[in-house]
Amino acid sequence: MQTLVNNYMFVGAVIMFGIGFMILLLHNNLIKKIIGMNIMDTSVFLLFVSLGYIKGKEAPIIVGGEISKMGYVNPLPTGLMLTGIVVAVSVTAFMLALTIKLNDMYGTIELDEIQKMRGR
Amino acid sequence: MTQTLTLISHTNTSTNFIELVPLLSIMLLMMSAFVMPLLKKKHHIYGGAIGVLGLTGILQLLNVLHINRSGAYTFDIGHFPAPFGIMLKIGEVESIIGLLFVFVNLMIVWYAYFSLEKEIKENRVSFFHTLNLLLLASLLGIVYTNDIFNGFVFLEVSTLAACGIIVVKDKKTNIKAGIKYLILSSLGSGLVLMGIAFVYSLSGHLSMSYIHEALLENMAGKHNTILISIILFTIGLGIKGAMFPLHIWLPDAHASAPSPSSAILSALVIKAPILFLIKIYYVVFGMAIIGETVILDLVLLFGVLGMIFGSLFARSQTELKRMIAYSSVAQMGYIFFAIGLGNKLGLIMAVYHIIAHALTKSSLFLAAGSFIEQTGFKTIDEFKGIGKEMPVTLGIFTISALSMIGIPVLPGFISKWNLAMAAIEIDKIYLLIILLVSSLLNAGYYFPIIINGYFGEDNLDGKIFRSKSKPVKTLLPLMILTILMVLAGFFSGSIITFIERGIYLG
Repeated sequence: MQTLVNNYMFVGAVIMFGIGFMILLLHNNLIKKIIGMNIMDTSVFLLFVSLGYIKGKEAPIIVGGEISKMGYVNPLPTGLMLTGIVVAVSVTAFMLALTIKLNDMYGTIELDEIQKMRGR
Repeated sequence: MTQTLTLISHTNTSTNFIELVPLLSIMLLMMSAFVMPLLKKKHHIYGGAIGVLGLTGILQLLNVLHINRSGAYTFDIGHFPAPFGIMLKIGEVESIIGLLFVFVNLMIVWYAYFSLEKEIKENRVSFFHTLNLLLLASLLGIVYTNDIFNGFVFLEVSTLAACGIIVVKDKKTNIKAGIKYLILSSLGSGLVLMGIAFVYSLSGHLSMSYIHEALLENMAGKHNTILISIILFTIGLGIKGAMFPLHIWLPDAHASAPSPSSAILSALVIKAPILFLIKIYYVVFGMAIIGETVILDLVLLFGVLGMIFGSLFARSQTELKRMIAYSSVAQMGYIFFAIGLGNKLGLIMAVYHIIAHALTKSSLFLAAGSFIEQTGFKTIDEFKGIGKEMPVTLGIFTISALSMIGIPVLPGFISKWNLAMAAIEIDKIYLLIILLVSSLLNAGYYFPIIINGYFGEDNLDGKIFRSKSKPVKTLLPLMILTILMVLAGFFSGSIITFIERGIYLG
């Protein structure tokens, strides 16, 4: 129990990841699936950013030629997550575009209804 | 820490221009990709695409020759040394896979010149080439990179581009298959990203070699976290690489896409994640960590299931392209089987089978595409007697199918033989039975097509000899692929020794 409390970032991220994962996997509505995917990605972003965070410290920005000597927040995970967010946004945009296309062609965005149409 | 720095950052001293090839290939393909939509005339588009691919192919060939002479090298992008900058690491395996990807793609684009606009709208041809070049650039990136986050970004680019070349056809089934592929693939990417987060939290590095050293130093008491991240990587990349129970997106996507896209997807796109997985197993974690977990046995089990069930599903298909797509699942099973054996010969054969399958499956898909294009039929039953109408194309199909089944000399046989040897090496004789059953099942669904195509009075009745044949110039890329496939079988010895020099396992 104590390990769970100590690693609350991990626990929170994994719970959030699970929620997103299940929405993505189990819902038939495509918009809900896209929301699920975004929740899943966000959980990883939060975990990554929290990995580099030290309470009370700041970003390593040089002011007046001097950097704070007492340690600073690791900027690398934050930088990585900028890339991650760009990737997630482009995947979301592409999925939304495909969803519009699917709605034009089938008249619905519920995957189970589309599956039934194939049988007919 | 200083020790590791001297260990890895020995680059920047050489001024060999050949060592620019990996970065140059990726940049060349990425930049020329965005020129494609500006070109209007068909021969300009294809001239540009084939020119760029040909140039990249020559560069890759030079790279392989350079590696053959002086061994593996690393390349720091932008001269930022490894723990901070992105490092490319090119050894024997990476260089030969890079050459394979560019070459197969070149042949497929050459074939597409004669057939693509029959399947997709004319104003979309340039977009197909944009996506294709982007896809190839990202696949080369996955193969070359030594940085897991960089690999993840390239993986996402390849997913989007691969989905693009499926939906470029703009039919109902394509959109549906594309969405299915994208959803499952983004699930996979989420898992891979989570795996990277766990590994980063353990080691504080993103460069593969540095992670490996950091993990070896302080792995005590962190076995569970390591195991979780290995499982996350395996499932995530397993989805993208069509590991058996996670393959459900593959048949729809590969069967509905235009034939050149199917060939690219089946020959190249599912191979890159597998190479990434191999690198994660052996470069990031290393045998010392992987060997203690059950993960290789699981991969072996999934591989075996894929080999058997992929073939069983393929047997029950009525559409030709769906059958070949399920055959891909079975062949991926062989690769996972080879990884799961966990010894050196197995790993070498995994890489060799990637090469063999890429050459074989691309010519199978293109041959099937020619049948469909010339006759307008789709199901296997309708292709009875096709051997009289299109003898050369069915001949190419036959040679490739024989390789899939495992007739001696052809590459399919070489991998099965060596896989059997590797299985004996680790005292798992019962795996030979599975190899045998899988080969028989392969024969069970490829032979009927060939036999009904060439023989049988009823089948050949009313068919006119060579009435639907394609001109030889359109079949030339297919013939080159087939000849190369046969050569890959003939010279398997030297290919295997070349791979062996660069394999990640001691």
